[in-house]
Amino acid sequence: MALLEVEDVSKHFPGVQALTDVSLTVEAGEVHALVGQNGAGKSTLVKCISGVYSPDSGQIVFDGEGIRTYAPKNAQDLGITVVYQRMQLLPWLSVAENILLGHMPTTASVIIDRREANRIARELLARFKLHIDPEIPVARLSPPERQEVAIAKALYRRAKLLILDEPTAALDASLIERLFDLIGELNADGVAVLYISHHLEEVFRLADRITVLRDGRVVTTQPAAELSQTEVVTLMAGRRIEVAVDVDKAKPEEELKQAAPLLEFQHVTAGALQDIDFSIHECEVVGITGVIGAGGNDIARVLFGLSKAEAGQVLFEGKPYASNGPGHAIDHGLFMVPEDPSSEGLVPVLSLANNITLVDLPAITRFGVLSLRREKKLAQKYVEQLSIATSSVDTQVRNLSGGNQSKVLLAKALQAQARVLVLQEPTQGVDVAAKADIHRIIRDLAAQGKAVLVISTDIRALLLFVDRIVALRVGRIVADMPAADTGYAEVLDLTVGSVGAEAS
Amino acid sequence: MKDDVVTKPAEDPAPAAAAPRPAPAPWMRSRWGNVDVYNLWPIAVIILVIVITSFRSNTYFSVVNFKNVLSQMSVYGIVTMGECILLISAGIDLSVGANMAFSSICTGLLFTQGGYPMWLCIAAGIGAAIGVGLINGILASLNRAHPFIITLGMQVFLYGLATQMTGSAPVNNMGWLYSAFGGYLPSDPPFFGLPTVAMPFIVVVICAYAFLRWSPVGRRAYAIGGNEEAAYLSGIPVRRTKIILYAIMGLLAGIAAMVLAGNIDEASFNLAQNYELIGIAMAVVGGTALFGGRGGALRSLQGVVLYAVVANAIVFLGFTSNYQQMALGIIIVIAVMVTRAQR
Repeated sequence: MALLEVEDVSKHFPGVQALTDVSLTVEAGEVHALVGQNGAGKSTLVKCISGVYSPDSGQIVFDGEGIRTYAPKNAQDLGITVVYQRMQLLPWLSVAENILLGHMPTTASVIIDRREANRIARELLARFKLHIDPEIPVARLSPPERQEVAIAKALYRRAKLLILDEPTAALDASLIERLFDLIGELNADGVAVLYISHHLEEVFRLADRITVLRDGRVVTTQPAAELSQTEVVTLMAGRRIEVAVDVDKAKPEEELKQAAPLLEFQHVTAGALQDIDFSIHECEVVGITGVIGAGGNDIARVLFGLSKAEAGQVLFEGKPYASNGPGHAIDHGLFMVPEDPSSEGLVPVLSLANNITLVDLPAITRFGVLSLRREKKLAQKYVEQLSIATSSVDTQVRNLSGGNQSKVLLAKALQAQARVLVLQEPTQGVDVAAKADIHRIIRDLAAQGKAVLVISTDIRALLLFVDRIVALRVGRIVADMPAADTGYAEVLDLTVGSVGAEAS
Repeated sequence: MKDDVVTKPAEDPAPAAAAPRPAPAPWMRSRWGNVDVYNLWPIAVIILVIVITSFRSNTYFSVVNFKNVLSQMSVYGIVTMGECILLISAGIDLSVGANMAFSSICTGLLFTQGGYPMWLCIAAGIGAAIGVGLINGILASLNRAHPFIITLGMQVFLYGLATQMTGSAPVNNMGWLYSAFGGYLPSDPPFFGLPTVAMPFIVVVICAYAFLRWSPVGRRAYAIGGNEEAAYLSGIPVRRTKIILYAIMGLLAGIAAMVLAGNIDEASFNLAQNYELIGIAMAVVGGTALFGGRGGALRSLQGVVLYAVVANAIVFLGFTSNYQQMALGIIIVIAVMVTRAQR
């Protein structure tokens, strides 16, 4: 008998039929991938399984027992654990205390036996080959390590089904490998994993079976071996998808090289960066990649005036340039799109129109007064130009999907009249169709004469639309090459490096 | 050509995410135009209170009482507008009551002991209040220390200073400020005999509304309150904006101090105790978020009116002022819980 059986589950919200007759089974020890575009119903289904929502009809059977009470506590007691991107760990407690929370060993049933707790935690972590010190507070761990602790915590509670929701979103290539190894260990232990991801390569590496959701319905459930990536994408989108790598260069290569670069880094040392040299021309899209901490965001920080270059200099239009803050950088024609739209890039409670004009209030100000009519018109223009899916320009941006939020950020960049755009992870957590849209918009921007710097750990995505790719490793540039004759494996290898090469 | 699977719809480039939600039935609609109907609940309660009290008391629903309510809410209303602007920017000012006392004493002492012309004393009093606001703003934007604590410190300091200045005896002569704010306007149209204290209040509400809706600095306040990091990364001068907002609060505290001191012809250290707390409560009751980004002058005005109407109705229903306090306390708690439940 299957570990989890979802039988004809439907769920309706005011105005939306989120799930319609969804059936799904997960066997013990398997990795079952759940894929679908944003809004396909993945998170609603997960919330039903984990007891956050109760289905309108249908039922969920776990471990042979029909779930009667839909409550997160109940689901956890049964052995269902969801590991969210933002984990509910207590930052000031130690790793061991977090893992054993509520089950701390005691001496004479009064005093907490910290040594015993640490021993248990250490054993558990070692069993899954996690190199984390159980005695340090969670606040001192990196986000990926916290994710591992959350998984360990679930395992300690004898979770039989782990639901991983976009677990690799914040991870770079080497950490993804570690997570995959961990998942392998779990399966060997008989733990089932329901794996939700936008990254199909991951899904195909991991999954035994794949379920595709579209518009709240199950399109298919098949063994991964019987499906191809193209098939899955087609099923997800519900229409024929074609490979889109139409990187049309705005200017011929030669002309680009002869023109003076718009922006040039000369021997820049800042943050993780060590003695960096590279340049970018108008009409060019340059991808910068490297594992987390390799220095990608330090490039953005230096350009935007969030940190200072300790040595070397940056030339902008041939003149030395040093920014003392975002306002200064924007005035000079640079704009940075931060990594996480909802926490750094946008003001969630303000409307789409308000967010776009925030970067350039003078554009809608006449004699010291904001023209709300002009603001709406301006926003409307961007909504059409970037095909932002929204009912109105007055919609609060927190009600937009991830892809549309990213587009609002691009609209801000356009409104800032920037000549150099620095985009950080512009398509993180964005669905397939919106991702292609964003790539197209970036190419359009370059065609209009802008220089676009894309900082991302998603090498495959970068290779699809950049002209040049710059690979960073521990703060140094290890390659700067045209994207056209570069393969994914080559770049990955350069950024991750062979074992032992990182210690420098 | 690469081996990656990807991503572009062959036809129909419109994104799939555009799933339009069907419009709810008209009676369920929570928005009419730009107005969120749920945010208007204080108005419903105000009308309800007025209707009930009118039935219970013959003297309640009268022009005299209306003027009464209006004059009672005026000074609180001015303070509320200032706190509303600060709350929207995720700021707060607990020194307002003390600042009002300090400002009125500056004016009163300059007038009675310095013998300067009244207009100069008023300018100095309001200037002093703006100065306090500026200091609050500079301290609050210096680093991440919370304005709650900074302005609390300012409050304690100013009460000490105000008491020191007067030797705890009130200044009992506010010159022509008393004739200006102690009475009523002519009873013919267009003034209808309104209390004079209502005039600055009405002007302040209109200015606050215009400021928050149509001024760049007002917009910056919403952005900073909604997400300070994003505002900073959008090139908003966060520090300068905060300083301006606290200075505006200082200005309004100064105006409120002149109106109140004129109204009772007295300047003293306990002129306006707890006014900042009432102002914050009124703004929040009206629907301005305590932690920034949401709210507005008209919403906060709802809170002011609700507060004044209830306080007044309780008297007419024959309860003592102790019950008044209790009722107002209950309103604050319920209002905040209702507002939270909507989110």
